[in-house]
Amino acid sequence: MQQLTSLIIPLLILLIITHGLIKHIAVYEEFVEGAKEGFNIAVNIIPYLVAMLFAIAIFRASGAMDLILNTIKPLADQIGFPVEVISMGIIRPLTGSGSVGVLAELISTYGEDSMIVKMAAVMFGSTETTLYVLAVYFGAIKIKKTGYALQAGLAADLAGFIAAIGITYWYFS
Amino acid sequence: MLNKIWASLIIIGISFAFAQDVYDEVYNTHNNGIPVQFELLTSDTSHQQLTLTTNTYKLNATFKQNNKIQIHLSPESPKKFLQISAANNQKNNLIADIISRDNTSISLLLPEIHWEKLREVTQAAFDTAKFAVKLALGLIGIMALWLGLMQIIEKSGLINYLVKFVQPFLSWLFPNIPKNHPALASISMNMTANILGLGNAATPLGIKAMQQLQKLNHNKDSASDEMCMFLALNTSSVQLLPPVTLIALMGTQVSELIVPIILATSCSTLVAITVAKLFAAQRRKKRESCNN
Repeated sequence: MQQLTSLIIPLLILLIITHGLIKHIAVYEEFVEGAKEGFNIAVNIIPYLVAMLFAIAIFRASGAMDLILNTIKPLADQIGFPVEVISMGIIRPLTGSGSVGVLAELISTYGEDSMIVKMAAVMFGSTETTLYVLAVYFGAIKIKKTGYALQAGLAADLAGFIAAIGITYWYFS
Repeated sequence: MLNKIWASLIIIGISFAFAQDVYDEVYNTHNNGIPVQFELLTSDTSHQQLTLTTNTYKLNATFKQNNKIQIHLSPESPKKFLQISAANNQKNNLIADIISRDNTSISLLLPEIHWEKLREVTQAAFDTAKFAVKLALGLIGIMALWLGLMQIIEKSGLINYLVKFVQPFLSWLFPNIPKNHPALASISMNMTANILGLGNAATPLGIKAMQQLQKLNHNKDSASDEMCMFLALNTSSVQLLPPVTLIALMGTQVSELIVPIILATSCSTLVAITVAKLFAAQRRKKRESCNN
């Protein structure tokens, strides 16, 4: 499977170019024509990304999340639920690099074989950085009113979060 | 909803930092104005160099004029010292006053720190604003590459085969996209890239799909049902292969996680589709009742 992914992109590019040549397309000119847009899109995204990332950065730097976690820790401990996993659940939709940091920290504290790390890793693998994706995709087409996209995205994250805990627990015990 | 979440991130962040700083001021948790005692490990009077130590760490320092001492820091130095040096806009060193000294020990008064949390929060905000621009500009190259290839696909008609192939699968998810519309191709390519864990290709293709959906959108300012569905699918991250970062972090352990990840991601994708469909139905009802 791993080998397949490294094959697919070069083969796809080969297919696109040769098919273009067969159909008598001026491939170089068309490529440049399409590629022109790349700059504008990236520039469009900037304000959306700045708005999103700076708010998340303020939240993270304030240490408010640690307080939230410490508050629910006694409660979670009582039902035997690893509170560290919750930090993954909160941080995952917010920042990609942040969740990598949380996962790396959990690995160094508990080791790859622990249930907590497995849960966090499944969570990491089965959900996305919702707010970042939202800012990039809607920023590119200058959409400010995001409708119910965020609700649906966060619902998916929550489902992925719960599913990751349940499924990992069931799968490894 | 986005407005509220966005605002609460900022408000919670700043208020929490403020509250913590007030607490620190009231209880003087930074130990401002309290001299710190160090043992003198070595003291080279000719070069004015000395090494300070406590039970847990060692610091190198140099004597300065006016009974002051300059402590040299490295990134591994204790956090408290790094905080003080950052709060005084100094890099890797800090100036402290000598209160008293004899042959074996020295007592220092470190510079005071106030409103440390708020300073950190402000710094984080500025740094991320810069980083966001870097991130967006970093997309230019890869965006241009995929948009160029997409242009060839469209012109050569290759896209039509793809659209015909995926139409039956996607028309239920995106009922308002006209038959044989190229948006279906971009959507399917983005989803394929996601499934195979090709993040580099997924984002540009997804943006291309969004652009095509925007052409079909009646209200250019707000997201259509199709866009919301597409975004929800993307954030739920349908994937067969674990993301590269996870492989890097977990090593070979990742192979036994593949099955749970596929199961969990299927759950989140199903929920994403269901929620988006429910919201779309609600929207449609509202629109119909407005028309009547």
